[in-house]
Amino acid sequence: MGRYIAIRLALGLVTLISVTVLVFVATNLLPGDAATEILGRGATPETLARFREQLGLDDPLVLRYGKWLWDLLHGDLGQSLTTQTPIAETIWPRLVSTLRLAGLTALVSVPLAIGLGILSAAHEGTALDRVLAIGALAAISFPEFFTAYLLILVFSVKLGWFPNLSTIFPEMGFWESLHAMVLPIVALACLVTAHMMRMTRTSILSVMSQPYIEMAFLKGVPRGAVITRHALPNAAAPIIAVVAMNLAYLVVGIVVIEVVFVYPGLGQYMVDAVAKRDIPVVQACGLIFGIAFIGLNLVSDILAVLVNPRLRSPNRGR
Amino acid sequence: MRDGNGWTSAGLLSRRGFLGTAAAGALVTAGGLWLPRAAHAQEAKKGGTLRLGMEGGTSTDSFNPMTLSDEVPISLCYAVMNGLIEFDGAGQPQPELIESWEVAPGAKVWTFNIRQGVTFSNGKTLDAQDVIYSINLHRGETVSQLKGNLEPITDIKKITDTQIEITLSQGNADFVALLGDYHLLVVPDGHTDWANPIGTGAYVVESFEPGVRAVFKNRGDYWKPGRGNFDTVEIRYIADAVARTSALQSGQIDGANRLDPRTVDFLMQAPNLHIVRGEGTGLRYVFCARVSDDPYTNKNAVLALKYGIDRQKIIDNVLNGYATIGNDHTVAPSNPFFNADLPQRAYDPDKAAFHLKEAGLTGSEFRLTVSEGAWVTSPDCAQIFQQSLEPAGIKLELNKVPADGYWSNVWRVDPFCAVIWGARMTADESLTVSYSTASPMNDSNWKNETFDKLLAEARVELDQAKRKEMYATCQQLVSDEAGHIVFAINDTLDGYATTVMGVDKHPRFGMCDLRVAEKAWFA
Repeated sequence: MGRYIAIRLALGLVTLISVTVLVFVATNLLPGDAATEILGRGATPETLARFREQLGLDDPLVLRYGKWLWDLLHGDLGQSLTTQTPIAETIWPRLVSTLRLAGLTALVSVPLAIGLGILSAAHEGTALDRVLAIGALAAISFPEFFTAYLLILVFSVKLGWFPNLSTIFPEMGFWESLHAMVLPIVALACLVTAHMMRMTRTSILSVMSQPYIEMAFLKGVPRGAVITRHALPNAAAPIIAVVAMNLAYLVVGIVVIEVVFVYPGLGQYMVDAVAKRDIPVVQACGLIFGIAFIGLNLVSDILAVLVNPRLRSPNRGR
Repeated sequence: MRDGNGWTSAGLLSRRGFLGTAAAGALVTAGGLWLPRAAHAQEAKKGGTLRLGMEGGTSTDSFNPMTLSDEVPISLCYAVMNGLIEFDGAGQPQPELIESWEVAPGAKVWTFNIRQGVTFSNGKTLDAQDVIYSINLHRGETVSQLKGNLEPITDIKKITDTQIEITLSQGNADFVALLGDYHLLVVPDGHTDWANPIGTGAYVVESFEPGVRAVFKNRGDYWKPGRGNFDTVEIRYIADAVARTSALQSGQIDGANRLDPRTVDFLMQAPNLHIVRGEGTGLRYVFCARVSDDPYTNKNAVLALKYGIDRQKIIDNVLNGYATIGNDHTVAPSNPFFNADLPQRAYDPDKAAFHLKEAGLTGSEFRLTVSEGAWVTSPDCAQIFQQSLEPAGIKLELNKVPADGYWSNVWRVDPFCAVIWGARMTADESLTVSYSTASPMNDSNWKNETFDKLLAEARVELDQAKRKEMYATCQQLVSDEAGHIVFAINDTLDGYATTVMGVDKHPRFGMCDLRVAEKAWFA
């Protein structure tokens, strides 16, 4: 097991470095650079050249990447090209915001999704199962901004229960912060719960057709116990994988929700940075997103092995 | 603004005085008192926290005056810094940190008196050296976007601690207006720390998180009477129009910029809101054909497009009526030199067909590139343009491209594309920057010697009537020959809670010329 984790960690590191190379190259392939985007339409070739020199954009790509990596290994994320301030200082509160929103959403949606999935599987084919299926498909099908605007219209503009601006400021207390975050949490939960719930239901039902489940029924074990004790542990691997995927999505993919609810997280920060070709910032965000994705996948794989003894055999661990 | 004749106050009087008497070599001084009537028009109350939600900024903003380009960072800067010149409600330059000025005949040598007794937030008293340093930030070895405009300055001399002299390579009767550019903010001599701005403005920065929020505290004892009234000002970045209006409606903010023209009618009915509409003070919406590329080298081809666009239909359908019709040049309708005698070009498919035939074209040669990066509704505007060209037998091909990188990929590259032009405070600047042969921004590549000559003459012409005539001819030339199809100038639409007072429309920018933090007060 230790060997397995070590190999996965090493592979993760390689993937992470490849991600930063790709992000770096891709951002550089985009037309324009920080100088043209900051100086805008009025820039003359002369001012552009001077600005590029100031920003160090004239150096060869390999050299710039190497310098970035070297600084990173020394714990330095570098300076933003546009604001000339250390990136670590700006990115930290954004990262905390993103993780806070992702964490709270997960706290709500993961138990809800798994619970409803089990409920749905237990009542396969009944009216309850159908209602849950329709609800889940509807929640997935509506684009996130639509759900978000609907929530704002009803709960913020009409009823006035929750603010539609969800930015958390240092001076706000715990309950006030939580109150401000209710709408984005609900909007995101609508989005991710459905996916996880459907996967839970499908996984359980596919295990339910196995002979040992039939055996359990024939022994006289009640349906609820068959599902929770016999089916669920064996169905856990795909469920854990889909939960990890959704958690990763909550960290990296919620720009639209951030914009609509004015919740300044990493997503908006990265989009702004890409628009201005602020490569060190894009790199830093890419790095964090890479860590989130790779890390969550690693955790899900390890958990899958832990819950399912059959995956623990050395031959499967490679 | 306060009254229709507001522009006859100090600043302009001096310029007019100069223009009228320059032949006699007279030197005229501008009024020394700072907008005295503004302070007494309505008694401003002190106190409160103003919360604004604004679009037009990103998490890459800073307080660097050299790279200012959008509404949020400009507003942030105006909260902590002052300019040299301020524009009044009629668009006329008024004294700000420059208290008065004198000019020698020929409009080449200008003497400026610096306001006395003004202190920076670090305690330093404003003097000539600070002003020279602040202007020089945009000259010589600089990355400033204003560099080109200040190129005519050959020398800036300090005469005394409160007086400087600026020499130009060629006369410019509008030089004072040029000094009112929003990039020209005054900082103490030698200041370079743009993360920690120091200025003479009403407020100081308490906290700033780019892309999220800036909080300002009142410094107390602001040198402009009746201004800088709030204890605290909070400017929040709210890029989403729906989020901005919802926050305004539910009272989470007191003011918002760039309201959506398609929904502003509903907001106008809300009893707790007050909408400020600046007619035709926003962006010029342009389809720009480069006249150095085929088929636009043929004047008739461009004229066919100019007659074939249904301007009013675009304004009604896409902009919900919140725009002023454009007449194919960029001079503001509110400008004193605006050519009102130039007939408005109307939608006329027959004339368009005629010019198409004159050009010897089949009508399928045109391809227009549009993008939300030019302005959000440009693809919609282009669709109506496409439809309105059909009766003239012109099949316009539309090419929609991504917003990202539009200004570096498409603008000045594609021969026919959507472009926006911002308001310029003088007719000279509008025409020079967009249409003069020497301008690097001349995107339709229109080069006309008669126009260039006339423009240069008008710049130093002392007789206002003659000057107006010259600019009228310039506008006529541009409208008939240049490659700009300027079909609309949008309105600025700002919304405020009814408790926010002193928020008037302004000919340059919305949000009280982006100085709402220092101009407004709570009822």
